[in-house]
This record gives sequence, C-alpha cells and structure tokens, in this order.
Amino acid sequence: MQFEETLKRIQTHKGVIGTIVVNAEGKTTLDNSTTVQYAGLLHQLTMKARSTVRDIDPQNDLTFLRIRSKKHEIMVAPDKEYLLIVIQNPSE
Amino acid sequence: IIQGQKGVQGIIIVNAEGIPIKTTLDNSSTVQYAGLIHQLVMKARSTVRDIDPQNDLTFLRVRSKKNEIMIAPDKDYFLIVIQNPSD
Repeated sequence: MQFEETLKRIQTHKGVIGTIVVNAEGKTTLDNSTTVQYAGLLHQLTMKARSTVRDIDPQNDLTFLRIRSKKHEIMVAPDKEYLLIVIQNPSE
Repeated sequence: IIQGQKGVQGIIIVNAEGIPIKTTLDNSSTVQYAGLIHQLVMKARSTVRDIDPQNDLTFLRVRSKKNEIMIAPDKDYFLIVIQNPSD
C-alpha cells in the first residue's frame, strides 16, 4: 500500500510524463507497447550500469541512475527485486 | 574549477574512441574507469536513441553506495567526474 501511495505521489508531480515499475525478469506493471519498449531498454541499461559500478569496485553497488536527454529526464531507482522508472520533462 | 570542488575524487576526459586524454587519477584507475564508462555511455546513448531517434543523451549520472559518477558527453569527447556524495 505504501508503495502505491508513493507511486501516486510521483505520478502527480509536476512534469512527470510516466512511471514504470519493472520486476527482476523485466516485466512491467503496465502493458502499453511503448512502456514495454522503455522498460526493456532501461532494464538492460540499468544492468549495464550496475555491472560497470561493480567492475570498478566489487563492494560497491548502483543506487540510482539519471539519464538526461534533450527531451526529458529518465530516473531509474533499482531495488533488489524491482526497478522504478520515472520519466520527467526537465523544463517543468 | 571542478577539481577544486569539495568531494571530487577524480576527473577524466575521454575522447570519442574511449581513450583518456586528461586525468587527475592514476593510470590504471583511469584506464579502467575510461573503458567501462565509455561502454556505459554508448549504451545509454543508444538506449535514448532507440526510444526516440530524434532525442539524444545530454548527461548521465550514476549514483552508487560509495560515490557518484557524472558524465557529460559532447560531440568529440566526454567529461567524467567522480564525486563523493557525502561531501
């Protein structure tokens, strides 16, 4: 329940275009095809970022990833079993 | 200017091929960071473009338990800054 409240709070935040929660297998909470595309690609990127961090220092671990592009900003918060992805319009 | 900032552990400038051209870290750390981060940036950039071919990566921020790595890609090179987040 707390998770859903937090998710709702993020979703109603100004500028947030979308939120996606991805589980360990890369499956998402929403089934729109764009969402699936985002989720798959970001899941791979997060795994790559995590292994980059661990290759540099095996005792370290990824806590957050922030990808800023011309059109928007994607924030990824990885957890043990889930990935929370938030897509936000940076100008707002 | 960046180097004088509190908490900054290292700065590396990497060219488009992933070769470090300037660094404040020792050689072996630099080579390791540069190679791994170059790959990650290429992956991040293609992820952004796969989602939207008209979009492009402008900045990447990788936060981990021990530090934060910020990467600003440019046309011909990228700037990597490694910072201790608690400072």
